[in-house]
Amino acid sequence: MNLSGILVVSKPERTAEVVASLAGLQGIEVHQSDPASGRIIVVQEAADIHAELDAIKRIKVLPHVVMAEMVYHYIAEDEQVYEALPPELQAGGEACFVPKDLQD
Amino acid sequence: MGLTRRDFLKTSIAASTAATVGMPLSKSAEAAVKQAEAGWQWDKAVCRFCGTGCGIMVATQGGKIVATKGDPDAPVNRGLNCVKGYFNGKIMYGADRLTQPLLRMTDGKFDKKGKFVPVSWGQALDIMVEKFMAAYKEKGPHGIGLFGSGQWTVPEGYVAAKLWKAGFRSNSIDPNARHCMASAVAAFMQTFGIDEPAGNYDDIEHTDTAVLWGANMAEMHPILWSRITNRRLTHKNMVVVNLSTYANMSSDIADIEIVFAPSGDLAIQNYIAREIIKRGAVNKAFVDKHAVFATGPYDIGYGFRPAKADQFASAKEMEVVKNEQEHVIDKWEAIAQRKKEGEVVKQTNILGPKPAADWAISFEDFARALEPYDADFTTAVAKGDPDESDASFKAKLQKLADLYIDPKRKVVSYWTMGFNQHQRGTWVNEQCYMNHLLVGKQSMPGNGAFSLTGQPSACGTAREVGTFAHRLPADMVVNVKKHRDLSEKIWKLPENTLNPQLGSHYVKIMRDLEDGSIKWAMVQVNNPWQNTANLNHWIKGAREMDNFIVCCDAYPTVSAKVADLVLPAAMIYEKWGFYGNAERRTQCWRQQVPPPGQAKGDMWILLEMAKRIKIKDVWGEQKIPGLKAEGFEDGKLPSVLDAGKAMGYNPEMSLYEALFATKENKQAFKWPDAVAKGHGNHIAETLKDGWFPEKAMFEEYRKFGTGKAHDLAPFDHYYEDHVRGLKWPVVQKDGKWVETGWRFNEQYDPYCKKGSGIDFYGNNGKAMVMGDLDKPGDGSKKVDISGRAKIYFRPYASPVEQPDKEFNLWLCTGRVLEHWHSGSMTRRVPELHRAVPAAVCWMHPKDAESRGLKRNDLIWVESRRGKVKVRVETGGRNKVPRGLLYVPWFDEGVLINKVTLDSTCPISKETDFKKCSVKVYKA
Repeated sequence: MNLSGILVVSKPERTAEVVASLAGLQGIEVHQSDPASGRIIVVQEAADIHAELDAIKRIKVLPHVVMAEMVYHYIAEDEQVYEALPPELQAGGEACFVPKDLQD
Repeated sequence: MGLTRRDFLKTSIAASTAATVGMPLSKSAEAAVKQAEAGWQWDKAVCRFCGTGCGIMVATQGGKIVATKGDPDAPVNRGLNCVKGYFNGKIMYGADRLTQPLLRMTDGKFDKKGKFVPVSWGQALDIMVEKFMAAYKEKGPHGIGLFGSGQWTVPEGYVAAKLWKAGFRSNSIDPNARHCMASAVAAFMQTFGIDEPAGNYDDIEHTDTAVLWGANMAEMHPILWSRITNRRLTHKNMVVVNLSTYANMSSDIADIEIVFAPSGDLAIQNYIAREIIKRGAVNKAFVDKHAVFATGPYDIGYGFRPAKADQFASAKEMEVVKNEQEHVIDKWEAIAQRKKEGEVVKQTNILGPKPAADWAISFEDFARALEPYDADFTTAVAKGDPDESDASFKAKLQKLADLYIDPKRKVVSYWTMGFNQHQRGTWVNEQCYMNHLLVGKQSMPGNGAFSLTGQPSACGTAREVGTFAHRLPADMVVNVKKHRDLSEKIWKLPENTLNPQLGSHYVKIMRDLEDGSIKWAMVQVNNPWQNTANLNHWIKGAREMDNFIVCCDAYPTVSAKVADLVLPAAMIYEKWGFYGNAERRTQCWRQQVPPPGQAKGDMWILLEMAKRIKIKDVWGEQKIPGLKAEGFEDGKLPSVLDAGKAMGYNPEMSLYEALFATKENKQAFKWPDAVAKGHGNHIAETLKDGWFPEKAMFEEYRKFGTGKAHDLAPFDHYYEDHVRGLKWPVVQKDGKWVETGWRFNEQYDPYCKKGSGIDFYGNNGKAMVMGDLDKPGDGSKKVDISGRAKIYFRPYASPVEQPDKEFNLWLCTGRVLEHWHSGSMTRRVPELHRAVPAAVCWMHPKDAESRGLKRNDLIWVESRRGKVKVRVETGGRNKVPRGLLYVPWFDEGVLINKVTLDSTCPISKETDFKKCSVKVYKA
């Protein structure tokens, strides 16, 4: 699960249209928009980076979108990933293992 | 995670994003952020990936990184982040992270053919130094080598360079940046007499035209690309041109896309210059005042082994390598170089500084040399898509020339590896300056030729610190006595400690390992056994020769696999550091989290090595095969032990005490230090000598550039909360540290002479011999080039290996957005790995069809040097023309560098990874 904050810039006179098209995309929530500058803040929820990359491409090709780039990335959700690491890989742990790769 | 918690998080992420890009927040949103981020500590840092140098804010809690965001105050990225930047916080936690030293052993003893066994740091460092001293005693200072990196932090690179050059008296230290921007460096030094770009990223918002020459910015520098995209969509006159050997993502918003044949860029540049002259568009006032015309020899070889290549290369390889001795002029070179087709040209200028020789010429000679580069000739050699008509290509060429020539239009040219990784890389860089200088569009906001870099500190560390085989800090070189004298003074060394002989450059260290002239090598922050062309030779050299290879890395890379000793390295935010980006901006970060297990920073490894080697081991008389320099006995470095004693260096002293943890450094730079604001420093804390090595080394390094147009601010200044890096030269003015936006421009650069307007001061005090197109004159006539840049004539030269009957396709290699370089880090982030799980071979559908292949077929790509198995891709983001393949090199499962050609630019010694010939067939 990836949660990211994305800045979308639309042509100012078309902000409302872009907001409407964004709202139609799966996994996208529009949180804030500023018609004066054409800027729109969306939060994207995607299963993995594949979906995340595709999603940002979907945004970039919407009519009247000038640009879309990621800004914020929340990774604390990876806590489970981190906890699943062998103890020697966690900060401060003592290690004693040889990666399989090296013994080819 | 419950729905409420997720919704709450999303609100907070939206609010943080809005705040980052400067949008006003509601009170409730502000409260959400506060609550979600309670207990987090945010600190400024720098992205560790490409050379753009984006600012990143890193949040830590309980010794772990919990979030990252684009730094809203960073002038480079203004809060934005690309997908790689996203993963700065994740790359440390791959499941196969190395956390303890590993040595090849059998029955408890080192054995080159043994298996890796975990050992203690003490054991690891002892065997490493024992093997080092054995090689050093047998072969001398140039019998050992270090593969360094443009990802070294500034203080790390400085410690490495000082240990090697001042301690071991060896110049055989060279960074992977040699593969990345050595051609840019050579061209800067030749043209301007000083390294690194004149302009900065703000050129984007000032210009009307961005011309990309072999730089797929959309994928490789996405944040700069977002600025260009923004400019393109908001500035009516903005035009974007994308020149490349295949259509890529940068073509999407380009107004003109020019697909050219490999090496065709040399002809296109000359075509533009010829048009400038033909149309009377030379900016005469600018050229007369600020430039001088120049040229150099053409018979400079192709950067292969200069002699006895056949002892190592196969008969098939020799078909290409033999060009190093003699080259037969083809029909295009005959026109381009004023020669006869079939003429055999002995390559007489291949050794030492000879390929870089140059002399001044008249404007008339310059114009005469350009005469053959008309639209017909240029189209014939440079059109890259066989399915495009000549008329269409010519029309684009003309439009391109129009853009450079239009006096009302500002133009910035950008390039990366397409120019730099080029058999004539230095030349093609110089040609770009040629056109900008001819029309006077250089060193002004929105106008200039701008070389981008691929690594985060190729500029800051590799170039500025001078971790190259020929360099000393601040653009100085080892083979100039004045430069050695100054370095010996700052480093407090006895006279003639420094070695005047050029060391082995990156590819040569590989060749030296293969032929046994180097017997010990270390790798830091890079992956030589994946990133060097013609790999089969080097893998054999490492595994089958009697030598000892140490690889410091965070992950088990290909280079770790071929090594004898693997040392676990700390990664980016596990240590303190400085990086310098492509616009001369020096930026810093603090240690955010401790390294896992027993991993340690590269600087710690070097300092521990220095502890184990004494002055008497290295400062006695040393043999340097082939050394010939004034003031030195042939083949020898003198003993400086007695002179050292007189300066207070006891022969029993370790290099650590003599060069690094000196009394002065321990006194002046103590750890802990208030600048840390509670952050740790695992290196200072493990050394336990009470000093702050990163700060001490940075402050010592600053002495080299101060007053020499490379000035940096003090260490602590960069760490101040409001500072987001500074572009050097950083000079104090009215008590403030002021950066330099545009160099050589009096309005911005304090080093320009008053009243000069534009002043290319890097060439001050230098003179050139006047000659003609074919040779330098007798030396009787000299031209003073103070304050001037050189406009070189450089001819078209055909690629040394071209498709033929058997190897009938071009192969070009490079990166993809989601992965970075050899993928040793990005491949550890599971999500990134899934996005592009394995490298593919992009191929034109017709080329696939005519070979009976289809998408996803497994094929062999084979050259004269080796072959790899890879899947066919006929669609997707890259559209290659018929006749050309593109394979990225990030995947260690597809070691495409077994196939590539180890030809380098003879001046810069940078490998050409962009062209060689191959065949493909079903696997």
